[in-house]
Amino acid sequence: MSARKRTLLKVIILGDSGVGKTSLMNQYVNKKFTAQYKATIGADFLTKEVQVEDRLVTMQIWDTAGQERFQSLGVAFYRGADCCVLVYDVNVMKSFDNLENWRAEFLIQASPQDPENFPFVVLGNKVDVDGGNSRVVSEKKAKQWCTAHGNIPYFETSAKEDYNVDAAFQCIAKNALKNETEEEIYLPDTIDVTQNRPTKSSACEC
Amino acid sequence: MQQPAQEVMSTAEEQEKWLADAVALVQHNAFFMHRALDANNLRDALKYSAQMLSELRTSKLSPQKYYELYMRTFDELRMLEVFFKEESKRGRTNADLYELVQHAGNILPRLYLLCTVGSVYIKSKEAPAKDVLKDLVEMSRGVQHPIRGLFLRSYLSQISRDKLPDVGSEFEGEGGNVMDAVEFVLQNFTEMNKLWVRMQHQGPAREKEKREKERSELRELVGKNLHVLSQLEGVDLEMYKEVVLPRVLEQVVNCKDELAQYYLMDCIIQVFPDDFHLQTLETLLAACPQLQSTVDIKTVMSQLMERLSNYAASSPEVLPEFLQVEAFTKLSNAVVKVIEAQPDMPLVGAVSLHVALLTFILRVHIDRLDYVDQVLGGCVKKLEGKGKVKDNKATKQLVALLTAPLEKYNDVVTMLKLANYSKVMAHLDYETNKVMATVIIQSIMKNGTYITTADKVDALFELLRELIKDGEGLPAEEVDEEDFKEEQNLVARLVHMLVNPDPDEMFKILTTARKHFRQGGPRRLEYTLAPLVFSASKLVRSLQGREASEDSPVSLEKIFQFLHKTVEDLSMVPAPELALRLYLQCAEAASDCNMEPVAYEFFTQAFVIYEEEIADSKAQVTAIHLIIGTLQRTQVFGVENRDTLTHKATGYSAKLLKKPDQCRAVFACSHLFWVDDEGGVKDGERVLLCLKRALRIANAAQQMSSATRGSNGPITLFVEILNKYLYYYEKGNPQVTSNVIQGLLELIQTEMQSENTVQDPGVDAFFASTIRYIQYQKLKTDEVGERYAAIQT
Ligand SMILES: Nc1nc2c(ncn2[C@@H]2O[C@H](COP(=O)(O)OP(=O)(O)OP(=O)(O)O)[C@@H](O)[C@H]2O)c(=O)[nH]1
Ligand SMILES: [Mg+2]
Repeated sequence: MSARKRTLLKVIILGDSGVGKTSLMNQYVNKKFTAQYKATIGADFLTKEVQVEDRLVTMQIWDTAGQERFQSLGVAFYRGADCCVLVYDVNVMKSFDNLENWRAEFLIQASPQDPENFPFVVLGNKVDVDGGNSRVVSEKKAKQWCTAHGNIPYFETSAKEDYNVDAAFQCIAKNALKNETEEEIYLPDTIDVTQNRPTKSSACEC
Repeated sequence: MQQPAQEVMSTAEEQEKWLADAVALVQHNAFFMHRALDANNLRDALKYSAQMLSELRTSKLSPQKYYELYMRTFDELRMLEVFFKEESKRGRTNADLYELVQHAGNILPRLYLLCTVGSVYIKSKEAPAKDVLKDLVEMSRGVQHPIRGLFLRSYLSQISRDKLPDVGSEFEGEGGNVMDAVEFVLQNFTEMNKLWVRMQHQGPAREKEKREKERSELRELVGKNLHVLSQLEGVDLEMYKEVVLPRVLEQVVNCKDELAQYYLMDCIIQVFPDDFHLQTLETLLAACPQLQSTVDIKTVMSQLMERLSNYAASSPEVLPEFLQVEAFTKLSNAVVKVIEAQPDMPLVGAVSLHVALLTFILRVHIDRLDYVDQVLGGCVKKLEGKGKVKDNKATKQLVALLTAPLEKYNDVVTMLKLANYSKVMAHLDYETNKVMATVIIQSIMKNGTYITTADKVDALFELLRELIKDGEGLPAEEVDEEDFKEEQNLVARLVHMLVNPDPDEMFKILTTARKHFRQGGPRRLEYTLAPLVFSASKLVRSLQGREASEDSPVSLEKIFQFLHKTVEDLSMVPAPELALRLYLQCAEAASDCNMEPVAYEFFTQAFVIYEEEIADSKAQVTAIHLIIGTLQRTQVFGVENRDTLTHKATGYSAKLLKKPDQCRAVFACSHLFWVDDEGGVKDGERVLLCLKRALRIANAAQQMSSATRGSNGPITLFVEILNKYLYYYEKGNPQVTSNVIQGLLELIQTEMQSENTVQDPGVDAFFASTIRYIQYQKLKTDEVGERYAAIQT
């Protein structure tokens, strides 16, 4: 199973509404960008085949809703993530401040085995806006935050101009692959399934 | 499909346990599924995966727990998917596989497996995407249990997400076209919404609340379809307008479910782009009044307007689009219709709709004051007959409604053009109204907004009436004194902003302001009238020396009458000290205008107040010095008037309560007879009389204090008088001779050495510096020096 598992990397993109999570994913996967805002509802994923060093893996990229009211079912899909991408908008201070919350929330909900070393990647998006004149979070400040949180790799991106998007996702894939957490190994009591099966849960015929 | 009560009523603990049990079974079956996959054993792989999927048939789990279980199986199904792909590489056709999985015994596992194969099937392009999708979405009808059905369809939506025959997709063409993609998603959406809505009717009534909570958690599964639609490349404006929006709205309106309607409207607004909304406003808005009357439509519409407002603010290039579609008219009509359609809508709802509309105008049609007034008018209509609004939340919204244009235009004068502005304000309760009035004045001060006509003053004071007079809504309890003071000071400061360089209009402004102020009662007049007097005095100054023209309605006489009346009002408050001060100021102004009788009249009034109203001895001292000072500066009087007034002034001076006060006032009066300016009075004799009188009083004081001992006040008085003598001596008053001065010097020295006198370093120093001054003057070589030569120190 591990061989099959290892070809599939699960990546979660988090961040405030409007920072460009969907745009980054669409740019990376479909090479498309639209200037119009269309809110994301629930969690949605796209897959992309990617070559990491000598291996071909499938990246399952989960884009999430930044608006809380559009994420009503909880975050069960965090489970089994190999990498978490935190996105903020370099022109909106609040979106940077909130990285702290997104990261903490992820660690609580996904409860990875080794939270200290779980791979995150931070993206400071929309660096193109107004030729960089309206930015309020400096690269230095962002990098400091990343360093302080366990040397998180940091990328400045523009989904609009397709700047640094590939590089960022390449790094994301690499780090996801490095995340050597073992899937919780399940060992059945016995190999004889017909005899020793746990009792079946009740259900109606539908 | 009713569940036994105990199964649904479960504690969090039970939920955890049920989930753990189910997960254990999923893991168990997954283990064997993996083994089968590793062994390339398709039959077993299907068997175990079906068993694993059977766990999703549970009815016990809450939506969130079910979602956790679903995600477990979801991850496992990805392995199966990879296997299916490999299987087809090994020569098994997807059609085969598709057939094969249909043998799974239970419908739910069967459909999950079908979707999983279907995904591979479409990917392989061995069958047109549209056919497989259609098949899957049709077959999913087989599951009618709401939670199970919703998750199954959500799975279908998820695995098909990148396989829709959208424009530009690899599946377009043989796989179908964007219309097929849209049909597929719409159908899935419609079915999901039905399942979701139906859920509320299932189970016992007493669990309604819990069910609503569960439904609310499930909402993202339904809304997600709209997100998918919005992401389709082929859904352009045309397609959205003709197909997507009408179909979605049809479902929204027809489902008649409050939760669904509110949520889906919210989704539509957020999920589709701005220009789509702008171009389909009519359709979208037409749905609003058709929603259930309990739907929180004001929030929905406010969000739409907010979104459009932001869009308008994002770039000036989009503004023509707003005009072209007449966005405002449409929104405004919709607000009216919605309010009509929901007669039970709480007031706060109606008002916030107007706030949203106003915000929209201020961003999109900043130049359309008529629109602003129209919205305010709409609100007034809604408030008709309601009197003062008592609901706190509605009040807050009303304040927002009034503040928004004020902050946008930064110009109260613009607000005054809005006929409905004051009408809305009239519905605020007393306290809030005052706060709003304060905000208005602060805006005037901050922005330096001048109010330049009497009409505007009228309108403004109408707005500010709660500050300017006691309204009907006056609360029974006493208003806080500090607050009152602060408010009235603010009103007083406002007077300086009421200006017009044209004297006629300025005079009208003043009379208008006074008309309003006079309704404020004595407590307010104390604050408000004084600035009017200052302002009118300023007007006097501006007219001073100007030829009075025949046809000009304003004349100095009129302004002085105005002043007279105003100060008289003030004296009746009563505020005698202030009134006296202002009378004197008026007198001086009249004097500067060469209007002797007027100046005389003002002085007379000042004296009347002094005589009748000022009883406190300290206040008297201050007042008399003011009178002396003003009289000294007033040059207009002829001998007769002057004599009368100075006589009174000296008389009152000598009658002050305390000797030292008498003494000082009397020697101050000496200046009334000696005005240094060219042509000023120079009556040396009467100067001397004053000084002598002062000396006599000082002497009397000296005797009194010797009797009481230990007071050195009088010696200071002597030194002060000495200084006056020196002043007149220097100015060449012939009555003041070196002999008199010499005598005074000696008198002081004797007094200072007298054993009855307590040493006072202050007085000593004062005297010493006076002596030094004399010595210094003696050194001079001019005529001053000559005069001083006669004095020995
Ligand atoms: N100029 C610029 N605009 C961007 C960039 N990335 C995204 N945007 C715009 O920002 C807006 C929001 O982008 P989304 O990708 O929808 O944001 P999101 O994070 O997915 O938002 P939610 O789905 O609400 O969580 C859209 O109008 C995008 O066109 C960028 O790099 N540069
Ligand atoms: Mg998004």
